[in-house]
Order: sequence, then structure tokens, then C-alpha cells
Amino acid sequence: MMRLLSFGLLLGSVALSPAQAAPPTGVQAPALSPADAAMLAAGEAELLRAMQMEIPGQAAPYYVAYEFLDGQVATAHADSGVLLSFDDNPYRNVRVEVRVGDYQLDNSRFEGGFGVREGVAMKGLPADPSTIAFRRELWLATDYAYKGAAEQLSGKLSAREGRPEDDHPVPSFEERQGLTTAPVPMPSLDSAATLNRVRELSKRVGDLPGLENAEAIGRDWVGRRVLITSEGTRAWIPTGFSVVRVEGVVRTPDGRRLRDCRWWVARTPEELPPLDEMVAEVEQMAATLEAAINAPIEQDYLGPVLFEAPAAVELFRQLLLPEVSGSPPVEMAPDPYAPADSRPAPTARVGRRLLPEGWTVVDDPTRAEGTAGAYTRDFEGVEASRVSLVENGVLKDILMSRVPRSNTHGSTGHGRGLGPDPREAMPGAITVSPARSMSDNKLRKRALNLARQADLDYVLVVKRIEPPALAEDFEVAFTGDGPLAGLTRPLEVVRLYRDGHEEPVQPGMSFLGVDRRVLRDIAAAGGVADMVGVLDAPAGPRRHSLGAVGGLPASWSVPSVVVTELELRAGGGGQPRAIPAPGE
Amino acid sequence: MKLTVSARARIWPLLCAMCVASPAFASDGEDILLDSLVTEVDRTMSSLADAEQPPYWIGIGVIDRHTVSLTATHGAASVPDISHQRMGDVDVRVGSFELDNTHKIRDAGWFDAPERFSVSLPLEDDAALIRRAAWKSTDDTYRAAVRRFIKVETNNAVKVEREDGSDDFSEAPAIVDVRQVERVDFDPAPWLDILRDSSARFLDHPAVHDSNVTLHIQDDVRYIVTTDGTRIRDQRVNIRVSVWGGTTAEDGQELQVYDHIDTASLDGLPTAGQVAEMVDGVAEKVTALRTAPVVDPYVGPAILRGRAAAVFFHEILGHRAEGHRQKDEDEGQTLTDKVGEQIFPPFIHVHDDPTLKNWGEQDLNGHYLYDDEGVAAQRVPIIEDGVLQGFLMSRAPIEGTARSNGHGRRQPGSAPVARQGNLVVSADDGVPYDELREQLIERVKAEDKPFGLIFDDISGGFTLTGRGIPNSYAVQPITVWRVWPDGRPDELVRGVDLIGTPLVTFSRIVGASDATQVFTGMCGAESGWVPVSAIAPDLLVSELEVQRREKQNDRPPLLEPPAAVVLPTGSAKGGAR
Repeated sequence: MMRLLSFGLLLGSVALSPAQAAPPTGVQAPALSPADAAMLAAGEAELLRAMQMEIPGQAAPYYVAYEFLDGQVATAHADSGVLLSFDDNPYRNVRVEVRVGDYQLDNSRFEGGFGVREGVAMKGLPADPSTIAFRRELWLATDYAYKGAAEQLSGKLSAREGRPEDDHPVPSFEERQGLTTAPVPMPSLDSAATLNRVRELSKRVGDLPGLENAEAIGRDWVGRRVLITSEGTRAWIPTGFSVVRVEGVVRTPDGRRLRDCRWWVARTPEELPPLDEMVAEVEQMAATLEAAINAPIEQDYLGPVLFEAPAAVELFRQLLLPEVSGSPPVEMAPDPYAPADSRPAPTARVGRRLLPEGWTVVDDPTRAEGTAGAYTRDFEGVEASRVSLVENGVLKDILMSRVPRSNTHGSTGHGRGLGPDPREAMPGAITVSPARSMSDNKLRKRALNLARQADLDYVLVVKRIEPPALAEDFEVAFTGDGPLAGLTRPLEVVRLYRDGHEEPVQPGMSFLGVDRRVLRDIAAAGGVADMVGVLDAPAGPRRHSLGAVGGLPASWSVPSVVVTELELRAGGGGQPRAIPAPGE
Repeated sequence: MKLTVSARARIWPLLCAMCVASPAFASDGEDILLDSLVTEVDRTMSSLADAEQPPYWIGIGVIDRHTVSLTATHGAASVPDISHQRMGDVDVRVGSFELDNTHKIRDAGWFDAPERFSVSLPLEDDAALIRRAAWKSTDDTYRAAVRRFIKVETNNAVKVEREDGSDDFSEAPAIVDVRQVERVDFDPAPWLDILRDSSARFLDHPAVHDSNVTLHIQDDVRYIVTTDGTRIRDQRVNIRVSVWGGTTAEDGQELQVYDHIDTASLDGLPTAGQVAEMVDGVAEKVTALRTAPVVDPYVGPAILRGRAAAVFFHEILGHRAEGHRQKDEDEGQTLTDKVGEQIFPPFIHVHDDPTLKNWGEQDLNGHYLYDDEGVAAQRVPIIEDGVLQGFLMSRAPIEGTARSNGHGRRQPGSAPVARQGNLVVSADDGVPYDELREQLIERVKAEDKPFGLIFDDISGGFTLTGRGIPNSYAVQPITVWRVWPDGRPDELVRGVDLIGTPLVTFSRIVGASDATQVFTGMCGAESGWVPVSAIAPDLLVSELEVQRREKQNDRPPLLEPPAAVVLPTGSAKGGAR
């Protein structure tokens, strides 16, 4: 197994997300700003020209989309109340997508290998509202994307050559009517508040013994997505999110590095919790970290595990997301060295049991007002809808973008993606409901009963799991390696004894061999939980490289759960500092 | 730094990155950053004094960098990019000056190098946090040094005796020079208008597909604190106005022309008219290159104009005169044993002098008073009367040269090695350029060659100095002219790179002009990118070789560039083509 170190609190890629509800069609449009007028004029003019592009003998564009993205992003990073970095930048970009062929068979969702372009290009645009300058950038980006799309389609056709024809071919792209929404004015952002929030929270980690880091990083992002397509769509979609992450790191006298984090994700800065609530949580984190310094070191553990609500969100979202996202796998160029059947593994199989009997999972971004995952239109301009994903523990329906798959309907309004990436189905606002809910007290007793059956004096309670964005390591498996963790590390673990008292153990443990089947081993669950905001990405490796403040906002409500049996490995050792800390 | 915005830029709500990232120094009083670094270096040495393997030298370097970048394309400006960052480097040596942890572990592969740890310094002057950041990085670096030194000692014992038995590090006198610094006070508004207006001129040149005009200001305050007792605070300002234009030729070759002016102060900025001239020049060159013929591979006489000759010398001689290359047994060591030998014609002289601030009106990029190891910069003769005199030295000694001559340089994040500063090439008996051109034509005729070449300007180049690969160079010209012996006008050509091997090329220089030109730019090597300059006269070379340049294959854009604003009468709707 190879482990590669990555740093937890890195500025991540700027991801793009929808957020607030757009005014419905027909609402009196506000006057366009000069920049908006220039964007529209440039987009309309170049769209007309783009549809005339042609390379002799090659498929012509049948769909062109210009996605203008403009707004403001403020990112602040502080340690112990002192500023490490601060950026406050307006931005304006355009994502150009060209599809060649037709709705039934086009270039998209094919990976031709290293160096083969696709039908998408991103370009920065000037700040000044200049139609001609915007058009120049659109012209070159569209040309680049069209040539990429033509080559991508040829790769796809080449890869399919000689394969038996599919009896029920699935279209490449869902055909939809264009739509128009009213312009959305540019929101304002108080970046001083971003800065002050981060300063204050990093300060509140306090002066712990052995303190090495007391960092907070925050990003507030407000903006709009203006979608202009050859289908006639002219949609204005608000975009943005606010995220704050706080990290404390201490080193014990014997050299162990202990780390804990807190984080908040909301749709807007105003929807973040009040500062005093966040401060209280950070102070509680500091107290937990301090207590962990002298806590016992848990050895390898095999037995039941109680995941309290915040940890349960990570358990579910890391394991469940790939099972409910309906975007089909990307086609690949044939690999001459691969086994004969090198088709990608099927994903999101309707009819598969995912959870115990009686459990339900619903995604509904339209009824999640005030949470990070609320939105009315996805990145493809499609209205979000409620999807009943899991009924009685079995996957009944899946989330869809405009990329169809064989056994289901069109888009559910869940098509989103990072930067130039394809728009893929990913959750917006998910609610997980058990068949029966227990009180916290009863849930604990149930966990202890399971521990007793396993001949254990205590059960491990996982209170928090690090989100992938804050993970400091990741795993890559090669043939012959042992099982992977399958879940990021627990940050906060306590032993729960039969007499009801809790004893913290030192952070640093890791899970072993967790996969989606664990969810079927849930023995009991607590009551309805609050929505928790997260930053995420469509299923795939990008989920693990978002950085601390990158990703797309989503919300998950998951109750506390007891899993019958899990394996956790003891944390590794550490090395004391050779040089005493300043002031020691 | 003062920042205001013009009316046209006011659509953007906030430009206040600098408001919270104010310059962090006191010019004539307490400097919290400097004092904190000194405290940590001293404390570390004393606290590790009794360690089993104590450090014998520690150095911390910090760059406090403010940058402003303004860009415009086709008459429209982007949001000014304003940033402030502090970048720290900690170097810890264990062992002794004779043998320490930085010693090369032989046969360990390309990836063996002393570990380096970033220093996450705050932007604000908080002594406790600065000290904590320095402490963590110093501790990480020290422990890595101890680990590596174990391997160094064994490697030294297991392997054969080194060809160069010199020490790993040399002593250097302590320098205490805490200079007054004054941050650049820049108002971007007038310059945004200059960039807008000048970039709009490209719209009159349809052959130029993409372009921009940029102003970049980098204002560095540098700190160096070492256990030698060195305490340096100094400042370096680099301001660059650049113009870039690009296009795609019909054969797919991407053609790019870049012009720039470097200056060390706002006073040296070009006027709006000069920037407009730069734009016109770039646009005309791009347009001409787009239809210029491609030259086949060719060997024959050529002239390198001053700037091209300067880059040429930087690549083929300058890099080979860097001290550490004489010691590394993986290096080709072209010049190592040639000190005192004639390697150039006797009329050629070369020296490197970082103490030069300017050359005539031109500020020099390679100017500094102290290198990044805290050693005073010195003028170093490299070639006199065609004879090799010596090498550019960092604090890593080589056989025959035990001390640094102030050329240990680095980009933040890398370990310093010997690098060039201002490389100055001069020639005896230079002639006016026109006469040199006549000499070229005479040679073409005498050798019965179809044409000669003039390399007018060069975008950059690289040189290979290792043993495992051919010891050669390649230089990428921007503009090359074909000179016909029959009196036809010179013809602009494209699609070639200048290639060769160093020792042969040195001996083929047969003449020079009586005027010099200056190249200013950045040089990338083992220790990252450092600013450099090179100065040279036009050179006549009896034989130079060109090879075809790497070519791209995309067709030029399928549609004509958009012209004036034409608002469509209806929306574009697909499906009905």
C-alpha cells in the first residue's frame, strides 16, 4: 500500500455551485449592468457563429453552451488570530461546451487517453464590460472546444468499432427545451467579515500545551452562473457558498501528533451559524484536544461502533454517494493489455439493498431552504426535484443529470460539476430516515449490548470523522495490497463504558476495510438529525482532492447509528520535537 | 501601497488585499520579523548544543513579497491581482564543514536531495507566531538533516574516493547590513488606462489571434539570518511591462512574440507611447511570422545580435561556469579542468558582476549586493583574452576554489547553488554592425553557402550539462533573418532552433560588433528561478546549426476573428443548420 501525504488545510480548487433560488420565469427583469449586457451580447453573437463551425467531413456542433461565471471570492487563512493569507478577488470566467454528433450519439463521456482533448474549454474574461474582448475569448475557446469535441467523438466511434450493437442504445444527452429566467443581480460580499471570522475562530483554539497549529480557513463566495445555450436557454443561476474550517494540532510529550477539526458549510455567509456558536464549538474542540493529550491510546479494535450524528453524516456520504448517483461511467479507449471484459463496474444499481429494511433516503434540494444543499436549478439549468432514492432499504431511484442511462428517466435536476469537469449527478439535500428511531440513551444501551456480546467492556463511539477535504493522507491500492480504510479517519473517539461514563482516546486511529455493505449492518439508529452542510463533488477521485475550501455544497441529515461490527487500527507513533518550543 | 481604481474598474467592488496585508517592517527601528528570526536561530543553536549530533550551521531566509499585476486584452482590463506573501527557507547543517548532511549521496538516483520544509509565516508581525513557524520548520529540517547525515557517512565510506575532495561548505564573514526599505507606492489607475489603450491596438491586427499587455510589480524585502552572525535586510524591486501576441500559422505552428521592459523603479516605466510602440512591434512581428517561410536544417555562418548573443553566452558558457557543476560527478564538467586554457578566441572576455546596477539606461535584473547565503557579491572574471579564469561560487567549495564569490542564489523553496547574476561579454576590436554584416556576407560567398542567418532576438534557451546525456544546448530565436549573398533584401524566416555543443561553438566566434545589447529575464535551474541579465555585442559565428522547431498541429481558428460588436437580431438555436 502506498500512502502519499497531502496537507489538510490547503486552498482547494474553486468549485462552482448553485445556491439561492432564482426568480421564476416571467418576473420583471432588473436592468442589466454594462457587464451583463456585454456578456449577453458577446454570448449571443458568438453562439450564432459557433453553430456555423464546420470541419469538412466531421460532425458539426449540435449543442453549444456558454456558462459565464462571475462573482467574488474571499478566502482568509489565520493561525492563532494572526493572518497567514487573504485573497479577495472578483472573477469572471466562461466555460464553453461544444457537443458534436447528435443527442443520440455525441462526443461526451469518453476518455481517449493522455493528451486527447474534450469538448470543453475554460477561459478567463476581463473585468471591463467589453463585448469585443469577451467575444475574442469566446471565439478562441469555442474553436478549441469544437476541435476537441470532434477528436473525442472519433475516439468514441473508434473504441466502439467492432463491438456488438446495443439493442437498446442509450442517448448521449437528453434533449430539452430552452428556458429563460430573469437576470439575477450581482450579490455583494463583506470580505472583512470573512477575515474577522477566521481570525476570531483561530484565536479561540487557545494556548494548548504542545500546540503546533491553531488554524482557521474560510471562504465566502457569491456569484452567478449565466447559461446561454444553442437550445435557447438564457438562465441566470445564483451561485456560491460559505465555508469555515478550524484545525487544532498538538504534540504530546511522547511525540504523538493529535489533531481535531470543526467545520461549517452554508449557502451564504448569513446562513452560517452565529459567530458565538462557532466560537463555543471551537472552544469545546480545544478542550477535547487537551483532554486527549493524556488520554489512553486505543489499540486495534474489532466490535460494534456507535457513530454520533456528525460522524454518521461522513459515514453515509462517503459510502452512499456513489450508490445513488446515476451518471453512467465514462467510456474509455480499449486497453490492449486489459482482460477481455474491461467494462467499468456498474454503479447505482436500482434494486440493490443498501440499508436495513424500513429505511428511506430522499434527496430534495427544493425543500432545504436555509441549508447548504438548497437550490432550484442545477448547472444544466434543469429544475431540481425531489427524488425518493431508497425505500424500505432498497435503491428505488437515482439522481440524474442530462446524461441518460438505460434504466431510468431524464434529469432530476442534479447535474453539477467542478470547473470544466462534466456535469454529473450528485446529491443536493439528502435526508436519511431509519425504520425506527431510538432515543440517544436507548441507542447507547443497544451499542453496549452489542459490545457485551462481543465480550468487550466498552463500545467505541465515533463522534466525528474527518471530511475528505481535511484528510492528510490518502490511499492508493495496488494488486496484492491489504484492504483499504474505506473511510477517512475518525477525529474524535471515546470509549463508552457500561456505567455510562465516557473516556476519550487519543486521535489517530483508522478504519479498515469499510465499504457500502457496512450500511446494511446498521443495528439501530437515533432520531431525526439536523441538516449538516458539506462540500463535495460527483463520485470519483476528485472528491478526495478538493482542498479545505473547494467543492460543491450539499446537505445531509443522518441520524446517529450503531454498526454491528467494524475494525479500527491503532494510530501510529510519533517523534518528539528535538528543539523545545519557543517559550518552553 | 496606494491603490485606487479608475472609473471603468470601479465595477469591481473591492481591491483591498493590501489593506490587511500591510508591509511588515520598521525601516529604522524595531523589526519584529528580523528580531524573531534572530531569536530563533540563536535559541536553536543553544538548545541543541548538547545534542548527539548538533547543527554546526543554521540559516533562515525570508522573502516578504508584495506583487501587483495588471493585465489588459483587446482594450479591456482584468481585475488587478494584488498579493502579499512571506516565504521562508530554513537550512540546517549537521556534521562539519568538511562533510555534512547536504553532501551528495552517490548513486542514489535523481530523487535524492535533502528534504526541505516550508515555513508558514504569518503576514502580520506577531513575534510568537513567527517564532513558532520558524521553530517547527527548523525542528523538521534539523531532524531530517540528522537522518540524512547517517546515510551520507555510510555512502562516503562505501563508495570510491571522490574526484573532488573539497569540503561541503565554506566559512564566510558575518555581515550585518539592515537597510532602510521603502515600499513601492503605486497607483494602478493610470496604468490600467495605458494597458487598455495599448492592448486595443491589437484589434487592428487580425493575424494576431490572442494577446495581452501586462504590468507586473514585485517588491521583495529579503531577510537573511545565519549562525555566522549575518543579519541582512535588503530590498529588491522588479517591474516589468510586457507585451505578448500569438497566432497559429497555416501549418499549425504556434507563433508567439514577447517583448518586455524591466526596470527597478517606477521612474523607469515606459511611457504610454512606448508601450503602444511595443504593441505595434509585436503585432507586426507576429503578422510577418505567420506567413514567413520555414527554414530547413542548416549549417552556416550567422550573426547573433546583441540580445541573442547574451542569451547564447548565458546558456553555453554561464551555466557551465557555475561552481557546483565542477564538483558533481554526474555533471559533464566541460570546463572543470580547463582553468588557464584558451577556450575562446583571444578577443573574447566574460565576467559576471552582480554589483552592477545598470548598463547605460537599462536596470539590470541580476543586480544584488549579497547572495542568498549572506555573502557579498563579487565581480568574477570567467574568461580573459579567451582563457578560462575561474568559476561562479556559492559556499560549496570546489578543488582550487575554497570560498564563495557571492553567487549562491535561489528561488524561495530551494537550496542555493552557484548561479549567474549579470553576465557581461565583451570583445576587443569590435566593428560597427554594418561591417559585421558585410563580413557575414563575405563568409557566405567564400564558403559557397546559399545564405547566412541573423538571429535578431531570442525568447530563451536551455542547456544540458549532465554526463548521461549529450552535452549540448538549444536556443529558441523569435526572429531569424535569411541574408542572401546576392543583395536581395533580408527575409524573415521561422521554425528553427539554434543547437550545438559548447566547446565547438566557443571556437567558432570570429568577430564582434562595437556595441552591446542587454537581455534581462529569469533563469531556471536547480535552485529555481532567479533574475538575471546578460550583456553582449553582436557576434559573428563562422558556423552555427539550426534544427526544425517542435511544431503544433491544430488548424488555425476555423472562423475569422470577431470584429466590431454586432448584436444578433435573434437568439441562436441549434438543431436547424
